Amino acid sequence: MIEFRGVYKKYGNGTEALQDVNIRIDDGEFVFIVGASGAGKSTFLKLIMHEETATAGEVIVNNYKFSRLKRRDIPYLRRTMGVVFQDFRLINTMTVFDNVAFAMRVTGATRREIRRRVPYILQLVGLQDHARHYPKELSGGEQQRVGLARALVNNPSLIIADEPTGNVDPERARDIVELLTEINRRGTTVLMVTHEHSLVRKFAQRTITISDGRVVSDTGEKKAAVTPIGEKSPVLLGGDLL
Amino acid sequence: MKLSAMRYLTREGLRNVWQNRFMSVASVAVLAACLLLTGLSYLALANVERAFKWVYGQNMVVVFAKTDCTDEQITAMGDALKALENVEKTEFLSKEETLEKYKDSLPEETYASLQGEDNPMPDAYLVTFRDLENFDETVAQIKAIDGVDDASYDGNIAATLRTVRRIALEVGLGVVVLLLVVSLFIIANTIKLTVYNRRLEIYIMRSVGATGAFIRVPFMVEGMTLGILSGGVAFFFVWLLYVKLLGLLPQTTALFTLVPFKEVWGVLIVGFLVIGMLTGMLGSAIATGKYLHKEGSEKT
Repeated sequence: MIEFRGVYKKYGNGTEALQDVNIRIDDGEFVFIVGASGAGKSTFLKLIMHEETATAGEVIVNNYKFSRLKRRDIPYLRRTMGVVFQDFRLINTMTVFDNVAFAMRVTGATRREIRRRVPYILQLVGLQDHARHYPKELSGGEQQRVGLARALVNNPSLIIADEPTGNVDPERARDIVELLTEINRRGTTVLMVTHEHSLVRKFAQRTITISDGRVVSDTGEKKAAVTPIGEKSPVLLGGDLL
Repeated sequence: MKLSAMRYLTREGLRNVWQNRFMSVASVAVLAACLLLTGLSYLALANVERAFKWVYGQNMVVVFAKTDCTDEQITAMGDALKALENVEKTEFLSKEETLEKYKDSLPEETYASLQGEDNPMPDAYLVTFRDLENFDETVAQIKAIDGVDDASYDGNIAATLRTVRRIALEVGLGVVVLLLVVSLFIIANTIKLTVYNRRLEIYIMRSVGATGAFIRVPFMVEGMTLGILSGGVAFFFVWLLYVKLLGLLPQTTALFTLVPFKEVWGVLIVGFLVIGMLTGMLGSAIATGKYLHKEGSEKT
């Protein structure tokens, strides 16, 4: 659950990135965040990830009340969410397997747990045959699926996808959103920032529009995904997702 | 922290050292040079200290009586010497015994002509001191005793040694402190470079919820490894210089023998490793502290 109560964010240089934002996103929702560049979408995500702190107002994410959050609790807050980046942010010197395993290792998972979990997650995103490849040997869409696998591997209750289709061709972009939809269908909250209106229209989920740091519209809809999972969707290869 | 995690983090730290090997070698070279100089300063001090004791130990003071002293006066003088607090023992040397000491350094005829009534030597006492630190003070007390003509000792060597000891200590400490600061700076920069090279990994670690300690451990391992390597290198060179190079000098020309290496190697190796490790860890803390404490997002 994500809740913003009267949140303001003003940066040191005077930029007012967010103004009086009031939003509530319940567990299990799929929400698109849309808006022009510089509208405040990134700041919105950074506040959720606690990379930035609000100037005023209260942010609550997965039962962590940020006004009372201690520094030592931040890593544990972050373990409740998985992040997918527009530029993938994969480590090019590591194989696909190691990139995904890395997220488990740094949270203290044992080798045994990693050996069991990573192949399973790679299968879910359809990359079981690419475990030994390096990111540079994969297409943009495949790299993003590695990013998604890494975000999923620690079994978070919230996935934050920051323009995950920005560097992927349109066909593969749909695959990515379909995967996210499937993940959401199995109970994970998904928050996806995008400015691809075609995707927003196609997947018809709750859409929050931010403009000049303010929420200017919120469809508030909680429809199920209308797009059936296509034959190409790799999620069909997996059983239960998480 | 779990054992498997520690193993993983240690491996990561060692990987840092290897991947950043150019700067690692530079760090080790500077820190090892610093430790080497520290070690040599220590050895120099140890030897000066030893020389100091040797000189004082050897230069027992010879107290000469005035030539016109009567036997009673000489006995009284001996008692007065023994009564001094800092005098451990006294040994009486008759004028014949005193002359005897110069036998080898005088031409034979001269020595023969100085026998009996013509012996110019005064009666004397050989005095050994208890506490070498109060040397000058005690000599002054001796000179004040009735019937004492002179107290012969090599005050110049003692004074010179004392100066050498002071200079060695001050210069040694100054150089060592300066080099430690330089080493710290170099190590901190080496690790900063690793932190910079691995900023993407650090960002990902943070975003998936790695704790600060978990992120820092590999850099600590890197710093400590550089420190230990430096300690080892420095110890090797100290050994090379002290044992192999000084060993080539003919020992008989030395006034005194050098402090044997087996008496000091333990202090040296422990000192090197401890100083090396502390410097490495401190350098790592400096390099990572500011960067990793930052709450905001790092641009990658």
